[in-house]
Amino acid sequence: MNIFVEKSGITRRQFFKGAGILAATAVFAGVLAKIGIDIYKASDKYIEKRIAGLYTLDEKMTIRKSHENPEIIQIYKEFLSPGEVRPLSEKAHHLLHTKYGNDIPKLITELTAHGGHHAA
Amino acid sequence: MSEIKGKVLKHSEQTRTMHWVHLICFIILGLTGIAFYFDIAGIVNLFGGEAAASDVHHWTGVIFTLAPLVYVLFNFERFAKFIDTITTFTKDDLGWLKTMGGYIPFIKAEHIPPQDKYNAGQKMLGLLVIAGCILMIVTGFPMWLLKHSMPPVLVWLTWKIHFWTAVILILAVLGHFFLAAIHPKSRVEFASMMIDGYVDAEYTSHHNAKWFAELKKAE
Repeated sequence: MNIFVEKSGITRRQFFKGAGILAATAVFAGVLAKIGIDIYKASDKYIEKRIAGLYTLDEKMTIRKSHENPEIIQIYKEFLSPGEVRPLSEKAHHLLHTKYGNDIPKLITELTAHGGHHAA
Repeated sequence: MSEIKGKVLKHSEQTRTMHWVHLICFIILGLTGIAFYFDIAGIVNLFGGEAAASDVHHWTGVIFTLAPLVYVLFNFERFAKFIDTITTFTKDDLGWLKTMGGYIPFIKAEHIPPQDKYNAGQKMLGLLVIAGCILMIVTGFPMWLLKHSMPPVLVWLTWKIHFWTAVILILAVLGHFFLAAIHPKSRVEFASMMIDGYVDAEYTSHHNAKWFAELKKAE
C-alpha cells in the first residue's frame, strides 16, 4: 500500500510567511503587554496617592476614634442607652445595624410599632 | 475504479495532539464563558461553583495560549507551511468559493477547481481561528489580571471584543464540526485529524488535487 508522507523542508517564502506571522504576533502582544503593565503601574501609583491622601486627612482630624467623639457619647447617654454609654444596647442594635433586602419591611413594621419614626 | 491506492498522512502526531488540546480547551472555555455570560447555574456548578469555574476558565485560557505557542516553536516548519497555504489565494480558491466546493445543496457545482492541502473554505476558517484566538487571548488576560486597574472604557472594550469574538468563533467551530464530522461528503477526513492522521489517497487526489500532485512529485 502506498503511504504518502509529509514533504520535509520549507521554501524561503514559507519561512518568511511563518516567521512574519510570528514576529507580527509577538510585536502585537508585546505592545499590548507594555500598555497593560503601564496601566497596572499607573493604577498602583494612583492607589498609593489615594492611601497617602486618606492617611494625611486622618492625621489632621481632631477626633480620630469614634468612641471618643463627644457627639457619639452624647447620643448614647441621652438616647441609645439613657444614662450610660453602652454600645450594642437594644435600641442601638435596632437602629444602627444595617438591614437590607427582605428585612426592610420587617424593620419598618418594628420601628412603626415602637413609634420609631419619631425616634429615628 | 480508481488506480490510486493507499493513504496520505495529512496531519502529524504533533498537529493532532495540538488540535485535541485546543479543542478540549475551547469546549471548556466556551461552556464556562457561556455560563458566566448567561448566568447558567447548571454549567457553573458542573465546574465546582462560581469561583472554581472562574479559575477553570482562567487557567484553561493559559493552556489555550501556550499549546499553539509550544507547537509553533517545536514545529516551525509545519506552521510555516500551514501559514503559507492558508494565506495563498488563487483563482482556484475563488472558483471553490463561487461553488462553495459543492457542499451547499442549492449552489450548482459542475466543476470544482483543484485545491491545496486545505480548500478555500478551510483556509478562511484557519485565518479566522488564528485571528480570533489572538483577539481572545489579548482581551482575556487583561480581563483577568487588569480589571481593577484598567480605565472603565478599556474594561468595556475588552468585554465587548471578547464576547463578540467568542460568538463568531463558536459559530465557526460549529460549522467546522458539521463539515468535519457530520456532512457525508467531507466527514471522511474526520479520522485524519482526530485519530490516525491518514486520508485515502484517492479522496485526496480529488479534493486536494494540487497538494496530492506535490506529494506525488516529491515521492
